[in-house]
Amino acid sequence: MASRCVGLLLLFQLLALNAVSHISAFPTPTAPSDDKTLYNRQLTEEKPLQEQMVEADSVKAAVQSAESRRPTAAKDTESQQDSDDLTVLKSLADSQKSQDSAMAPVKKDDQYIPDESDSTKSRRLAEDYDSTKTGMDDDPESFRQVDGTMLTAEDIVQKIANKIYEEDDRGVFDRIVSKLLKLGLITDGQADTLEYQVAEALQDLITKNAKKNEIDDVESNDQEIRGEQDDQGSDVNLDTWEPPRRRYNDDEEDEAEDEDEIEDEVDRDVEEDGADAADGALDKDAAGGNEVSPEDGLQDLQYFPNFYRLLRSLNSEKDSQERETLITIMKTLIDFVKMMVKYGTITPEEGVSYLENLDAMIAMQTKNKLGKSLLPDFIGPNGKLLDEDDNTKAEAAKMQKEYENLKDSTKEEQPSSETNTPGKSEAYLEAIRKNIEWLKKHNKEEGKDDYDLSKLKDFMDQQVDSYIDKGIIARDEGDTIKRIYGSL
Amino acid sequence: MKLFLSMVFLGVAAVSLAHAAGTDGEISFEYHRYEELRKALVSVWLQCPTITRIYTIGESFEGREMLVLEMTDNPGTHEPGEPEFKYIANMHGNEAVGRELLIYLAQYLCNQYQQGNETIIDLVHNTRIHLMPSMNPDGFEKAASQVMSQHDTPGEIKDWFVGRSNAQGVDLNRNFPDLDRIIYVNEREGGANNHLLQNMKKAVDENTKLAPESKAVIHWIMDIPFVLSANLHGGDVVANYPYDETRTGSTHEYSASPDDVMFKSLARAYSIYNPVMSDQHRAPCRKTDDDTSFKEGITNGGAWYSVPGGMQDFNYLSSNCFEITLELSCDKFPSEDSLKLYWEQNRNSLVNYIEQVHRGVKGFVRDHQGNPISNATISVEGIDHDLTTAKDGDYWRLLAPGNFKVAASAPGYLTVIKKVAVAYSPATRVDFELESLMERKEEEREELMDWWKMMSETLNF
Repeated sequence: MASRCVGLLLLFQLLALNAVSHISAFPTPTAPSDDKTLYNRQLTEEKPLQEQMVEADSVKAAVQSAESRRPTAAKDTESQQDSDDLTVLKSLADSQKSQDSAMAPVKKDDQYIPDESDSTKSRRLAEDYDSTKTGMDDDPESFRQVDGTMLTAEDIVQKIANKIYEEDDRGVFDRIVSKLLKLGLITDGQADTLEYQVAEALQDLITKNAKKNEIDDVESNDQEIRGEQDDQGSDVNLDTWEPPRRRYNDDEEDEAEDEDEIEDEVDRDVEEDGADAADGALDKDAAGGNEVSPEDGLQDLQYFPNFYRLLRSLNSEKDSQERETLITIMKTLIDFVKMMVKYGTITPEEGVSYLENLDAMIAMQTKNKLGKSLLPDFIGPNGKLLDEDDNTKAEAAKMQKEYENLKDSTKEEQPSSETNTPGKSEAYLEAIRKNIEWLKKHNKEEGKDDYDLSKLKDFMDQQVDSYIDKGIIARDEGDTIKRIYGSL
Repeated sequence: MKLFLSMVFLGVAAVSLAHAAGTDGEISFEYHRYEELRKALVSVWLQCPTITRIYTIGESFEGREMLVLEMTDNPGTHEPGEPEFKYIANMHGNEAVGRELLIYLAQYLCNQYQQGNETIIDLVHNTRIHLMPSMNPDGFEKAASQVMSQHDTPGEIKDWFVGRSNAQGVDLNRNFPDLDRIIYVNEREGGANNHLLQNMKKAVDENTKLAPESKAVIHWIMDIPFVLSANLHGGDVVANYPYDETRTGSTHEYSASPDDVMFKSLARAYSIYNPVMSDQHRAPCRKTDDDTSFKEGITNGGAWYSVPGGMQDFNYLSSNCFEITLELSCDKFPSEDSLKLYWEQNRNSLVNYIEQVHRGVKGFVRDHQGNPISNATISVEGIDHDLTTAKDGDYWRLLAPGNFKVAASAPGYLTVIKKVAVAYSPATRVDFELESLMERKEEEREELMDWWKMMSETLNF
């Protein structure tokens, strides 16, 4: 159970931190050191598995976690909690990614610049411990970042990939993996996924380096922006990151598909709100190396006519970055809504209506805020559309009324054939009288002022009308009742 | 003022006229045809407009409205946490006693409420009671015409069946989708244990075999989260509970539902106040009747005789509602002067049965932000029949006294199980707060980060 694992985790932490102190939550009060190793082993058997699961394919993770979240929680298998952790760590990885990319260029330059601003961090202890670390560039076996914050598995993958790239030696990977296997931190299965993941990262590295020469290095700025974006919704970014990958990287193992890689790069950069990256992307577009983006990307968006028009209006070169931004934002929103529907947070109908409202809002805001008038034929269709809506609604209402009138007329025939009218009004009279009496008595008992007769009359009139509409009472009966109330 | 006085005088005159027929205080015991039925309900509404409301769930085949009178402190809306109850009568048009009893019941509840009867006042304030005196008004008209024409010749009705089915000739109590068959398969092979009719509205609207009356009732069941219900019939005197259809298909076989214990308790809660029903030594209605399955005035449906496609089981297997079938008179259409007696035999039972809705466990299922989770699953360990929460996250799980483990679960949330000790009455309040998987992931993420910190430090790769 996830809770059990978390509980064990907590215990282990406490243990590790306070090696000496006994903890009353322990099942058996044995010597701390024994417990430590015991819990160590338990934790290591569980946790590392989860850790290594993070390195599995990110797309698979999204699918898995979605499936495993179904309410058969009773069958809480490890894979379920693993994939949960998988996505957790994935989102974690995203937030760490910024630092990661900062790492890449730094590592590239073979310089290890200790970040002195973090000298206050407790990491110092471990760093001092291993003297071989200082001055060396990224030791693939050091699982720590420059500024001392903890690494994620994603970073590990990246580190390994970098190392392999530099040394151009696959043996690096084998070394690391065998060490991990020896320590019992990963299983063979995990080793395979790790290999897969490293291969991917390696690919990315290759293409990134290729692009490095073309794009200015403004990534430091972009990191901050991306960091903010991530803070707002790591899950959202997670999902937006994945669908583009899914869409454009159908065959991820094919290194020859540079177009896809570039596309992937473009999307990642677009996430960063990177202006220059978008320019670069457009260059690539112009170069014809990329047919995927405009069509695929806007597939979802075809359902948003207003948004689409807006995009088209931004066709000029200088608006291109805005265009990209808007596309990304829109896609993000759509994916977010899809995700919410998938997880049952909202119903599909709500999702659809939300998106429809969104589109309508875009039209409105475009008119108001952008100041620029959308093309004249915009307002035409927009205006017309609205009118049409109103017209159809009015038509529907008209039809409804007619139908009801028809209904009423047939109903009226029935009761008039009965001859009980005097009897009816007597009974109704009686009933109303009883009600009034009761009200009077009731209000007196409660100490209220005299009941509000006019309010009651209005209420009854209203009810009578609705009952007539529904065919519960006949029109003449309704009139009788209203008359009785009127005469009170 | 004068006008008022004169009206009062008229009113008194009317009342004294009414005394011609048998009366119980203010109820007049006579048969009501469709128009009279409508009039009677409207009168109740006029007398108690703040606690009643009339509505219709649809039209019969011949266009008569299927009228319902609801009685509650805020008629017209479902109040979160307030259980919904219904009585339906006269689905067989020639079984007339139930129809009349419900009209009298409506009048009775209204009168008692105004006269300060605390039990009734509490009941009305804490329950939403729906009364449908006639599910088959067309059938009743047929049967009534036949009976009226018999006024000269005393004795039995010529035909035991005239007016039983609706105007199309459909027996409404065999017309509902047969979910028993599905549940029996699921019991053997695994599968859902409730809410068996998925894509309800579509399946129902496209089903050409359903009579309009059945269709209307099915929609009604889907719209309102009924908790408890009873279906009034005639032709015998017993309280009958699920399942109605036998598992093996034989004509007599005790067919217990997962809530057999609770159903027996519910059925007994009705029969116990009906002196005829609970009479152990009562002679069977007809000499040839087999009432060996009757015990303390109750019987399992399948043990008595197998009924497929009935409304009672449909309620239980398609929704959260528990329904039993009440047979209230040996004579399906007895003479008018016996109606008062039937009322007296059944009045206390009818009220007591409504009160059964306040039993077991009830409460709300919410998330950690306090938002209700609708359609969450409520399951009880040991009872293979899950319920769901309504739109406000509220649920009512009828249970006999005992100790239970109740679990609330929903997609995207972690299941919570609670142990509850349930008394006979009132219902025990058990609320659930479910943690969403996202929240749990956040927690786990925090702890994972700490753990990783620890690991790398300690193991020092």
